[in-house]
Amino acid sequence: MTGPYLHVLGLETRKLMSYRADFWLHTVVAFAVQMAIAFFLWRAIFDATGEGSIGGFAFDGMVAYYVLALLIGRLVRGKEREITIARDIYEGALSRYLLFPASYGGMKYAEHLGALAPAALQVVVLGGLAAVAVPAPAGFEISPATVAMATVVVAFANLLAFLLRFPIQAVAFWADNVWSLNVMLRFVTEFLGGLLLPLSLFPEVAQKAMAWLPFQYFFYFPVAVLIGKVDPEAWLRGLGVMALWCCLLGLLGAWVWRRGIRTYAGVGI
Amino acid sequence: MTSTPLIEARGLSKTFWVHRKDAGLWGSVRSLVVRRKDAKEAVRDVSFRVDEGELVGLVGANGAGKTTVLKMLAGIVHPTGGDVRVLGKIPWHRDDALRSRMSLVMGQKQQLWWDLPAADGFLLLKEIYRVPEARYRETLGHLVELLQVEEELGVQLRRLSLGERMKMELIAALLHSPRVVYLDEPTLGLDLGAQRAIREFVLDYRRRFQPAMVVTSHYMEDIERLCERILILRQGQLVYDGPRRDVVERFARSKILTAHVRHPPGDGARVSLSQLGEVRVDGDTIRLEVPRERVTSAAAALMEICDVVDLSIEEEPLGHIIERLQRARRGEAGGDSGDGGGP
Repeated sequence: MTGPYLHVLGLETRKLMSYRADFWLHTVVAFAVQMAIAFFLWRAIFDATGEGSIGGFAFDGMVAYYVLALLIGRLVRGKEREITIARDIYEGALSRYLLFPASYGGMKYAEHLGALAPAALQVVVLGGLAAVAVPAPAGFEISPATVAMATVVVAFANLLAFLLRFPIQAVAFWADNVWSLNVMLRFVTEFLGGLLLPLSLFPEVAQKAMAWLPFQYFFYFPVAVLIGKVDPEAWLRGLGVMALWCCLLGLLGAWVWRRGIRTYAGVGI
Repeated sequence: MTSTPLIEARGLSKTFWVHRKDAGLWGSVRSLVVRRKDAKEAVRDVSFRVDEGELVGLVGANGAGKTTVLKMLAGIVHPTGGDVRVLGKIPWHRDDALRSRMSLVMGQKQQLWWDLPAADGFLLLKEIYRVPEARYRETLGHLVELLQVEEELGVQLRRLSLGERMKMELIAALLHSPRVVYLDEPTLGLDLGAQRAIREFVLDYRRRFQPAMVVTSHYMEDIERLCERILILRQGQLVYDGPRRDVVERFARSKILTAHVRHPPGDGARVSLSQLGEVRVDGDTIRLEVPRERVTSAAAALMEICDVVDLSIEEEPLGHIIERLQRARRGEAGGDSGDGGGP
């Protein structure tokens, strides 16, 4: 039963790897720019305030946080910039998938997973370089146990990222341009997920509220688990919240799909 | 006909809702607040059946509803009303057992993966349709040989010519040996050689597998060579369902001669031309519509009157024939159409 899906997964991986220039440019340049911004911004903030620690992070810890959040984010989000589902709908390519004796959601999830291997390769290369360049800061307790716990979180979060994207992009059944919606989703995810700022900088109340939202599980939570700041109980609670969101978003996606497909006109064919 | 039809449509209807926006900046601003929705009846009360081994032509002018009918038969679009059974199942329920025995080829939209060589696309389809290895090799070998595309199998799809791509699309659609095949404009934009190759291929598939096939085409030649029976749609309604021969012989009364001439015809030449048929002159191009039985003599006369550089003879456009058919049906009572009446 998994035959076609595994095949799609493999194809997607090969396709991403075959765009070599894009693969390395995006990898290196995007990462370098984001890191440079974080580095100089926090250098200025630490210098201006004269504080030794902000939100529980010293300066080197803060830089290391961004390295980890950016890299883990790549594993979690996959091809987040692309709106393939929305494009399939309004360009009519969905018709092809509707003809296949296979599940559309399954094929798209396989594509999503196909982006994982190239992302992992990027993470290994960049993570290796970063480990050499930035020594592990004090207070980071990375052990085989935290790596294993963080891996489980990343796997869950990868599914969650797909399930969150699906209903939003399926809005293309009714609206012509989902691109702006996708940009908004990305911005909200990055802000409330802890990619722009570690969530420990937010007020206590906001942090409590955000623990119930799906976003922090994309960046902040897996990093916190990896560096040993989350105890097993909180880890389990986090997994529980993620499972809940997966169910909710899965149901929402199925509902939107069932309604949308009735209005689909297969334009473009 | 005692056999169960492979395709059966009863009272099939589809209404689309289209958003309207007035032209200009003000129209755009207004549409941000109020959106006007208009109903467009694309298909109205269409009924027909297609049996095993039948190859039926679905014809009509642009916007007549041909593609919408095919999309509903293929389960891509949900109808607003009516019922369809394909191999005994409702297509828009998208049952896997049905989908693995059905195929749709769209001449205007490629279905294979743009970035992949056709060979990779075929392998993926083999997995999707769960075609056993031995049968896959045999079918692919046969199809590739028939369409002579061995050389192009390893080339990325977007680097192939339109004709080669269409051939690949056909192979892709038939790899799983479907029992029901829909072909939407399979020869659109192709040169004559490729059109012929595709037609022969379709006929070969029909001989070997006896599927139920529905084909739409703007080219009369496709319909003439492929279909014994045709369905004519006009503004979403079925106005004719019967033998193709009857339509062409009864309703296609003229042919069109298009000639490029060295010098535009003078007044005297124009008068002589107008005696041959309906003439239109546009610079050095002459378009002459003449009765079918007089096409040879008219061509000879045309070449005598003008210094012809290039001459082509075409069938009267399908739209004209359809128009005439409608007029004839309104005038004459009866006809051989079984169904398809108005609302």
